Amino acid sequence: MDFGLTETQELIRSSAREFLEQNSSPEVVRVIASGDDEAISTLWKSVVDLGWSSLTVSEEHSGAGLTFSDLAVLLEELGAHLAPTPLVESSISVWIIERYGSDSLKSELLPQISSGEILVTPAIVERDASWDPESTRVAATQSDSSLIVSGEKRFVAFGERATHALTLVRIYDQPALAVIPIWQAENVEKTPLDHASGVPVCSLSFNEFEVGQSNVLATGNTAIEAAKELIAVGSVARSAQLAGLGRAVVNATVDYTANREQFGRAVGSFQAIQHHLAEMAIASKQVNHLVHVAARSFSRDGYSIEAAARAKIAASDKISQVCWTAHQCHGAIGFTWEHNLHLYTRRALAWKTDYGDSAFHQSILAEALGL
Amino acid sequence: MRFDFTTEEKEFKNQLSSFLDEALPEDWHGPADESRDDHWALNQQIKRGLAERGWLVMSWPKEYGGADSSPMMNTIFAEQMAYRRAPGHDRFGTRMFGPTLMRFGTEEQRKKYLGSIARGEIQWCQGYSEPNSGSDLASLQTRAIDKGDYFEVTGAKIWTSLAHRADMMFMLVRTDLDATPHKGISLLMVDMKAPGVEVNPIINMAGVHSFNQVVFDQVKVPKENLIGDMNDGWRAGMTVLNFERSGIDYAAWARAALEELIDYVKSEDSEVNSLKSDPTVGRKLAELQVEVEAARLMCYDVSYRQGKGEIPSSEASMSKVVATETYIKVLDYGLELLGMYGVLEPGSNQAELQGRFFKLRMFYTSGPILAGTNEIQKNIIAQRGLGLPRK
Ligand SMILES: Cc1cc2nc3c(=O)[nH]c(=O)nc-3n(C[C@H](O)[C@H](O)[C@H](O)COP(=O)(O)OP(=O)(O)OC[C@H]3O[C@@H](n4cnc5c(N)ncnc54)[C@H](O)[C@@H]3O)c2cc1C
Repeated sequence: MDFGLTETQELIRSSAREFLEQNSSPEVVRVIASGDDEAISTLWKSVVDLGWSSLTVSEEHSGAGLTFSDLAVLLEELGAHLAPTPLVESSISVWIIERYGSDSLKSELLPQISSGEILVTPAIVERDASWDPESTRVAATQSDSSLIVSGEKRFVAFGERATHALTLVRIYDQPALAVIPIWQAENVEKTPLDHASGVPVCSLSFNEFEVGQSNVLATGNTAIEAAKELIAVGSVARSAQLAGLGRAVVNATVDYTANREQFGRAVGSFQAIQHHLAEMAIASKQVNHLVHVAARSFSRDGYSIEAAARAKIAASDKISQVCWTAHQCHGAIGFTWEHNLHLYTRRALAWKTDYGDSAFHQSILAEALGL
Repeated sequence: MRFDFTTEEKEFKNQLSSFLDEALPEDWHGPADESRDDHWALNQQIKRGLAERGWLVMSWPKEYGGADSSPMMNTIFAEQMAYRRAPGHDRFGTRMFGPTLMRFGTEEQRKKYLGSIARGEIQWCQGYSEPNSGSDLASLQTRAIDKGDYFEVTGAKIWTSLAHRADMMFMLVRTDLDATPHKGISLLMVDMKAPGVEVNPIINMAGVHSFNQVVFDQVKVPKENLIGDMNDGWRAGMTVLNFERSGIDYAAWARAALEELIDYVKSEDSEVNSLKSDPTVGRKLAELQVEVEAARLMCYDVSYRQGKGEIPSSEASMSKVVATETYIKVLDYGLELLGMYGVLEPGSNQAELQGRFFKLRMFYTSGPILAGTNEIQKNIIAQRGLGLPRK
């Protein structure tokens, strides 16, 4: 066993920290949460320039060819800094395109994703808010070499900026996963949502929207498998962010309670507070371990759906609780808008359900356990 | 033992309920945001209606505008108001300051202020906490200097709820720098319009202006505004906290939210329609219903004991802890049920239940913090209630 980071990972971590402290400060997070499009573009451009958008793209498609474990190290830092940038959306789309795309689709899309020319974001959930791929209703009909798509996808992160959506539809009764261009397209209406995550999230409504047949990644059972893998990889990516977020909140709360004095001593010297913090630290460590095991399981040949589910169950439930306990330890100051703590809490709540909440992943895990 | 309400209590509850049916706007879900002028106007209007019916301070003696009824009537009143998320009663005046004044005020002070509280004429706020004095309130630094015929108050209070709407503040100030912390404190009433009082809004994490920083710069306060003896304000000030410490609002809010969730699960219109087929949903809602009911009984017990002349300090702390935590459990489960919709802010496109649960969850993060944190309450329960050693 080796719980340590590789040299590459150490390097990723330290350069990420340095960059994010400057470029994803709480001020930037707030500005973007208030809807500043330009700030999103600036940050995303720097992220692309750093090569993060091509980190897991294979070398043959002009990427760095790093592992999902390496990416998870980076995502942890993004989470710790609440970086409002679509790296998860882009990276997990890359993952699925690499795994399921045809050679021509890969060589068309991946270099453009790496260079930031295009941005792909997953669009899976519909009205019923379910992450179960089987519950897909958005319908497509086939005509000659194209698909005509009608229906609505909800909760699409960065949907307003994305050039493409990685989405699951039904062609008659056959599920199909496709990368469809939504940039400046007609017949797709974007409804912005006021979402706690502090990043732009919208619904996409397709009205007889025409897509080329070549955009289809997978159909039938393979499409369902691919969608499940997309959700698994998304849930591990979110869990990695949550792990980082939890760590940041623990550190901030240790800092605060060690310095805030009441009754002539640090409030962090009261056992009630120490026990709160000990619980928070345990939770955040548990999540961290489960995330890295899950991330390690992803390779070009497959992944462990169980490890992914375990990571997301723990991350979903434990990290939001870490945030709530942090509020309690901060007292009134942490209840203000001005204090940054609620930025973390909002994000943790949004990520808690994204790519499936704990109930969803418990069902997956139970099934995997033969129950 | 008897766990139902008396006929009189039931009748009152019904009357209050029909009054609120009339007084609240159609489709009112609350809670009121007192920084909004329309909600504040509603608050004032309802308060007048309640006062006219003599409902604001029923347990007070008749001579001060009350009806000599049992504390249980007040509890029923508070519960029903909270259950409807109705604005219109000044807790600071009716629940905390009034009873304190009755106990510690001079006859003149009682005459002057109790009637106006009973009639709902003025809004009070509570100036206790300071930036460096939260749980350790006795360390407070705001000074009042005796200038012969008046006090001169200088310093700053923080987290003062409703200071932006208040006419008067009751506040703790330091009047003796040399005495031990608890001994040099006095309780004063201050006119919020007095020169030198400045109210600065603080926005809370739900995005609402509910509390403030209040700065005092050489504010002249008449001598007759001192409550109780000089330097003996701690005792009177703590009495206020005893009155403050009931969980009944939270227990009622929890019940209202739980019922809303049950309706939502049953409703044909809810978007998250997988809820109906999942058996764990029903079980979890049932589990929460147990907690809500238990919290409610804890709060009734407190007012029952108060009615018998006891000061149920540990029980009051228990009810505060249980009710604030139960409310949060209900709200958390609400967010869980709403799933992806749970994190849409109020006013968002496609929000379910108007994004209310998210906002409530943000807002009531404060429950376990305010009015003495739950850690402090648990210290009281363990030490005063269970008699465990302090050290
Ligand atoms: C929404 C809201 C409204 C408020 N309204 C008012 C108001 O109208 N008027 C007013 O005067 N005040 C008001 N307050 C202030 C409130 O009374 C204080 O927030 C509270 O007393 C806690 O103080 P603090 O926030 O400074 O936290 P701190 O006292 O700094 O506490 C920080 C943490 O340390 C813990 N802690 C402190 N001492 C101990 C101990 N001995 N043992 C174990 N743990 C301990 C606390 O439990 C908390 O978790 C309000 C607060 C809020 C959030």
